[in-house]
Amino acid sequence: MFDAIVVGSGMSGGISAKELCERGLKVLVIERGRKLVHGESYTDMVQPWDEPNAGMVPEEDLARHYMIQKNSFISGTTKQYWVKDDENPYSYPEGKPFYWIRGYHLGGRSIMWGRQSYRLSPQDFEANAKDGHGSDWPIRYDDLAPWYSHVEKFIGVSGSQEGLPQLPDGEFLPPFGLNDAELQFKAAVEKAFPGRKVIPGRTANLSKAQPHHEELGRSSCQARSFCDRGCTYGAYHSSLSSSLPAADRTGNLTIVTDAIVHSLVHDPKSGRVTGVRVIDANTKAGKTYEAKVVFLNASTIGTAQILLNSKSDAMPRGLANSSDMVGRNLMDHLFALSVAGFMPNAPKDSYYHGRRPNGIYIPRFRNVTEPGDFLRGYGYQGGLTRLGWRTAALTSPGIGAELKERTHKLGPWLSFVSGFGEMLPNPENRVTLSKTKVDKWGIPLVEVNCSHGPNELKMAKQIIEDGKAMIQAAGGFVVNAATEPGVPGLGIHEMGTACMGKDPKNSVLNKYNKAHDVPNLFITDGAAMASSGCQNPSLTYMALSARAAHHATEFLKAGVI
Amino acid sequence: MTDFMPLDRRSMLERALLLVGASAAASVSPAAFAKAAGSKPTLAPAAFTLLSAVADTIVPRTHTPGAIDARVPAKLDALLVTWASPEHRVSITGALTAIDEMARSNGGKGFAALTPEQRKELLVAHDIAALKAVPRKEALTGIEALMGKAAVADPGYAKLKELIVILYYYSQEALTTELNYEHSPGGWTPSIKVTPETRADGGLSAF
Repeated sequence: MFDAIVVGSGMSGGISAKELCERGLKVLVIERGRKLVHGESYTDMVQPWDEPNAGMVPEEDLARHYMIQKNSFISGTTKQYWVKDDENPYSYPEGKPFYWIRGYHLGGRSIMWGRQSYRLSPQDFEANAKDGHGSDWPIRYDDLAPWYSHVEKFIGVSGSQEGLPQLPDGEFLPPFGLNDAELQFKAAVEKAFPGRKVIPGRTANLSKAQPHHEELGRSSCQARSFCDRGCTYGAYHSSLSSSLPAADRTGNLTIVTDAIVHSLVHDPKSGRVTGVRVIDANTKAGKTYEAKVVFLNASTIGTAQILLNSKSDAMPRGLANSSDMVGRNLMDHLFALSVAGFMPNAPKDSYYHGRRPNGIYIPRFRNVTEPGDFLRGYGYQGGLTRLGWRTAALTSPGIGAELKERTHKLGPWLSFVSGFGEMLPNPENRVTLSKTKVDKWGIPLVEVNCSHGPNELKMAKQIIEDGKAMIQAAGGFVVNAATEPGVPGLGIHEMGTACMGKDPKNSVLNKYNKAHDVPNLFITDGAAMASSGCQNPSLTYMALSARAAHHATEFLKAGVI
Repeated sequence: MTDFMPLDRRSMLERALLLVGASAAASVSPAAFAKAAGSKPTLAPAAFTLLSAVADTIVPRTHTPGAIDARVPAKLDALLVTWASPEHRVSITGALTAIDEMARSNGGKGFAALTPEQRKELLVAHDIAALKAVPRKEALTGIEALMGKAAVADPGYAKLKELIVILYYYSQEALTTELNYEHSPGGWTPSIKVTPETRADGGLSAF
């Protein structure tokens, strides 16, 4: 028997495992996907001219295997990290798509994540209580602040201290500086719209590796921007570069891969979970692992699937689901609300060196410093960049020496801002299990029913309008703008299917991320989120994981779980 | 310690040309096209020669290597098998055939048999007509709304040209002569002064 089982090895599972191992617990991490080896499994050293198919995924593969994933960031050098949709089916109602973007392998989506790392603010933790949507968070910002610091120091987050209440500062490495056009944009926007700020993105890339990073074999960012291929330098935080090696060096970690969790074993007498049933992904053989504590970090939808599939006579609606909230309140950030514009006044005599793995960030201002005719708000990610060879060569006619001549010149400055908007928790946006269909391992298929509501659509319109206005205020002219948010799921920020809350009647987890109904079950992935804020959420998952691991260990020591 | 003589840009380019087997920065002949194929191409010999002529006309050798030096025709030939869907295979080869037919209807000769000047004259005009923007049939959403390309009159030709250009600018020849490319820049410097020698960066590019 293990002290703890962590289901899932991604962003939150890696931190859960590290924190539990470092507190002396013998931990088993169960990963449904295959093993990847840090460095060895990556494609970051492949030169452009050696990229198969010039970095493109064969079109028939996209059509046959990646019908959903092709809508996201898959490429020829990263396709090994994205699931094959035909082998991992799920469904959504006709005309109501939800794109479930996934990676099944050791490290999960921490290998391919966008690395943007922002704290939620006091305002975010109070939002549900204030406007009545979703369950009131059972914690406030101050409860999580030390754990944000703890995680930031460990993973390494570059950023600038700004003193903004809606985006609390953290323990930052030096920021990746803004280029000259971005500095000009910043000055113009902040002058035209007092209260709005344009700051360097906060990203989990080591702008300057610290000794505790180097002890794990990590080194400073080389500004290659091949992060999504995996980084042999370990310059961005992932489970493979960072949290799992830290867990492993304690001597307390065991990992099994290719083990798909079917369900959790619940003992109705004690009311506790006693183990985890898995199916070998290759042989389909079943096995049960036992532990004193279980952490579910299988990702928001995966975690809901496991809970719902763990129903028993004692818990007929699914494990930890007396509230009927498991699977409900599915959220994702409004995504792909982008505006692009040319910046004729940007400095033509200025360029930059390196491929920065980051951009600018414009923290939320609606319903903070400026009113909005909707609830909650949004922030923007973006950047200003000189247009490159691809645009020069291909966006207008021309061939021959003239094409070559124009292509090797620096292009004009382009600005782009892309809004990330908060989606309200809505119990009708939910994950359920099919009553008739199972996957090849006999597990009921996930059905996702999720759409944007009136508040989201009103917000999306304002995101576009504000984006245009900022580009224009900085002297640019808009050349392209989205008209509607991308399909839910494309933000790859699924959250909410086992929400934290004060009241067991309308939430699944308490203030320690412990299930109200099951004293030794903790859930610290995106499922735990009672609201989404508009900030990229992984840092919050990791902080919740570290905090819950601390409390779980204390409860174990005290013999109360 | 060894001191290396500094090389000026022209010398570097000449050395690069030597590396790819060029003897002079002149136009390339049909015979050279066939030689550029390397292993046996998928396309029939005449089609491969036509592809080579088109690639050479779009990205000719100048004072830097061109598409033939970078083995673009052979790489594109391979893409037709390893990357392209049946629909794209048909539209790309159809675009090639259309160029050849245009040449034949103009003067009786196939495109590859024209002089470089004649090829260029024909393809400049075709390029403008084929890439003329047309209304899009379906609205783009999501990431495509930002990244999607404009709809054009001849999508087959647009894809053919795009592949030729990408294969060329992804090649070692282009990335060591035409563009600036460092696989590992070593760090981020947010501001540098543009000089006459400054070139656009190659490789990874969203735009």
